[in-house]
Amino acid sequence: MSRQLTCILWIVAGARALGAQEQEAILRARADSLLREWRQANALAGLQDSLRLAIRLSGRDTIRAGAVTVIANPSPLPLAQAAAAADAEIERYFGTAAHVFTDHPLLVQAIDPDTAAEPPRAPLGIQIPWDFDVARVSRVLLTMADLGVADTALRAWLGGPVTPVLDTVPRRERVFVQLVTAPSHAVRQCFLGDLGACRDALSLVGAPDIVTRWYGPAERRALVTVDYAGFLDRGEKQIAFRSCASGNDAACLDLLNSLPPGSLVRPFDSDARATLLQTAAHLGGPATFERLLEIQGDMGSRLAAATGRPIDSLVAQWRAGILRSRPSPVTLPPWGVWLGLGWTAVFATCGLRSSRWRVQ
Amino acid sequence: MFRVILYSLWKWSRLIILLGAVAAFVLPILSVQGASSDAVNPLTAGELLRSIQSWGVLYPVLAAALGLLVAIATWAPDHRGRHVHALSLPLPRWRYAMLRFGSGSLLLTAPMLALLLGAVLATRLAALPAGLQGYPIALALRFALAVAVAYAVFFAVSAGTSRTAGLVLASIGAVILVQVLATAAGTDLNLLGPLQNALLNWPGPLAIFTGRWMLIDV
Repeated sequence: MSRQLTCILWIVAGARALGAQEQEAILRARADSLLREWRQANALAGLQDSLRLAIRLSGRDTIRAGAVTVIANPSPLPLAQAAAAADAEIERYFGTAAHVFTDHPLLVQAIDPDTAAEPPRAPLGIQIPWDFDVARVSRVLLTMADLGVADTALRAWLGGPVTPVLDTVPRRERVFVQLVTAPSHAVRQCFLGDLGACRDALSLVGAPDIVTRWYGPAERRALVTVDYAGFLDRGEKQIAFRSCASGNDAACLDLLNSLPPGSLVRPFDSDARATLLQTAAHLGGPATFERLLEIQGDMGSRLAAATGRPIDSLVAQWRAGILRSRPSPVTLPPWGVWLGLGWTAVFATCGLRSSRWRVQ
Repeated sequence: MFRVILYSLWKWSRLIILLGAVAAFVLPILSVQGASSDAVNPLTAGELLRSIQSWGVLYPVLAAALGLLVAIATWAPDHRGRHVHALSLPLPRWRYAMLRFGSGSLLLTAPMLALLLGAVLATRLAALPAGLQGYPIALALRFALAVAVAYAVFFAVSAGTSRTAGLVLASIGAVILVQVLATAAGTDLNLLGPLQNALLNWPGPLAIFTGRWMLIDV
């Protein structure tokens, strides 16, 4: 009896296994078919995009100046001179890596500044009113010259497009203010001369305990209860949130570590990293960016290899440069005192010359 | 003569001067209260700068108020007495006005010095985070200039006739009216913008009042 039962059970189990295999094969075939359909649709969409771009690019002017190529609609915009000026700046900043832009043309849509008509919904590129002068157009082109197209890791580290650094002095002054005021333990230590803290604050090393390296306990609590309160004070995280708000640092740390990768606010903003990149370019010479594009790894080792000097030396140079850029504190120009006294004298003289007592 | 005019002006404006001096002395001290060394939760550098900046709005307001009130007090008795006393004096008008201006300016040095004293004391009392510095002298100098400019402007307005004041006001009103009409007509005419720039940006007369008034800064 039991042998018969065992036999029946084996047959049922075998049939079920066969059924499951068959089912898996069907599902796999369906998935493969779906993948084929998706690939086909993707290829068609790509073809459609290329055709659309080709139609939009037809009848456009192509302006080449050194490494810079600009594609624009015909207009009175002084693109040739602006492209030449932008190219000089791009080659000065990016050095030998400027050749990247020959494969990545800058798309410009010149628009009429005096018309009230709606601009096109899908512009060719950045829209520039065609009454802009050479300097302004050149500046716009420089903001479009993003080396990040060739290195997305560099762009992600920087936190924005990798463009030549313009307005150096105000940018360095802003970084100085950050160095003094940013609510971060690492930044404060960096200001006081700890180069390791500078490396952490500039996100040059990928460390698992980056939250504790960047922020102290009070700063972590402020981050959770102020900056990320809307995200963390809900659902299953609410208990940990309240615990953190009442002073439990472990809860704060857990909550900050639970944030999606890359979403924790960095101690320095992109200005600081852009000035570091600028320092690296200055120290490493014209081939710095080209070497940087070729090297893989964390940004600290990439920058060290690109500049050919230890990362601490680069960071020390950057820090010294920022400390030299302390902004002027009270906005009273040197001649402000004389102007103030001058205006006082002018108005006082007006008072002396009143017509009140004039004999008619 | 100067002493007599100074004494009479002191009698008319002593309340303004005393209150102004107290306010000027207290303002910098209040602005650094979060940075005192015995504070339970001392402010971070960023918080301190934000606090100092928000208190900083009061310096130009105080300077303008002092200038206005002392300028009014300088001429108010003359206006009330229809200038009979002034006309009875053996003085040319310009000299009389200069004596009045000088006496008002001298009295206004009290709040200027009070601010300098308060600012120096405040920066000494505050426990500043690394990287921040106190600028009491620069702030006091700027305050003194702002008081002087405000006093001179309102002194000139007060010294004029009602007709002059009316003309000034009518001119300002006319500019605003033209701007409103131009905007309504859809033209690009912008009178107020350039006027504002000319007055409030350097080297404009009111530029001293604008910008950041920071007792403590990076």
